[in-house]
Amino acid sequence: MADGPLSPARRRLVLDLARAAAVAPAVLGFLDGSVSALPRGAETDIAILHAALGLENEAIALYDRGLARGLFPAGLRDHAAEFRGDHLGHRDTQVGIIEERGGRPPAPLPSYELGRLASGDDVIRKALLVEVAAQEAYTALIGQIGTKDYLLSAAFILVDEVRHMTVWRRVLGLRIY
Amino acid sequence: MDRRQALKAAFLAPVAAAPLPRAEAGDDADAAEVFRAIDRLEADVATRLRAIARALPSAKALAGSCLADHDRHRAARERLRRRLHLAKAAPEGREVANALALDALRSAQEALVYAHAEGLPALGDPVAVGTLARHMVDLSRHLTVIDLWIESEASRG
Repeated sequence: MADGPLSPARRRLVLDLARAAAVAPAVLGFLDGSVSALPRGAETDIAILHAALGLENEAIALYDRGLARGLFPAGLRDHAAEFRGDHLGHRDTQVGIIEERGGRPPAPLPSYELGRLASGDDVIRKALLVEVAAQEAYTALIGQIGTKDYLLSAAFILVDEVRHMTVWRRVLGLRIY
Repeated sequence: MDRRQALKAAFLAPVAAAPLPRAEAGDDADAAEVFRAIDRLEADVATRLRAIARALPSAKALAGSCLADHDRHRAARERLRRRLHLAKAAPEGREVANALALDALRSAQEALVYAHAEGLPALGDPVAVGTLARHMVDLSRHLTVIDLWIESEASRG
């Protein structure tokens, strides 16, 4: 589990989910490698905040659907509810930062293309994909954040995303160390 | 309210600017202090992992994996020190209390994760921030693995 740039497969996954979450073109350009750096400043922070909110709203929609339909297996519902709560907290934090800076946060999309969710396995695999995409996006973008308050918030959000991802990897029997 | 709860409350309510307990590197730390704190906390975790692996053969694989990540992180930090024109790291030898206690390992690991998170704003360099953020991802994963280990030990009674 080495650090370093995204593998092509991971990059495609992040981009697919970022596009589905309506992430802004400038940020997509950075994530797909066609732009090497974003300009430092308030506008970049706002673009990253909008991108992050898109991913958080997508994650909330997934956990909402999985929990409402009873798709998470009984022993994992508490994890799903906890992770949903974390994503709500991340959303509210970033909405607060945008509003504090005089911006208008983007609303969630009317619906999200979440694919086939018919079983516990489907919803956990999708949750893992969404968490991996969020973790990869925050990791890739965090060095582009210009202000200390948002950088600190993003760091703690990233810690949560890694925890979610690691738990779902373990549930699916994937390597975690 | 412990430090973790205070931090989480603060980052979830940035506008309210709740006062934070002071981090090991300090809230106004410079990059050199951040690196020193990380070196110290990493050595603390490494000492515990080695002790646990010696006492508990089933922990060897986890400890080996975490320590290999530490080695890679330390080498990357040295490159960052050169990039930022900081002094080289001093060797960190550690003696720790309760070296075999899982909850003490967890606390040390959490402190190491937080030193990264709270240190990022002090670095002032996008490459350094990106690098230490990737290290933080590894370390947060280690922390979760330790949590899952503690949970499974507790469920076994």
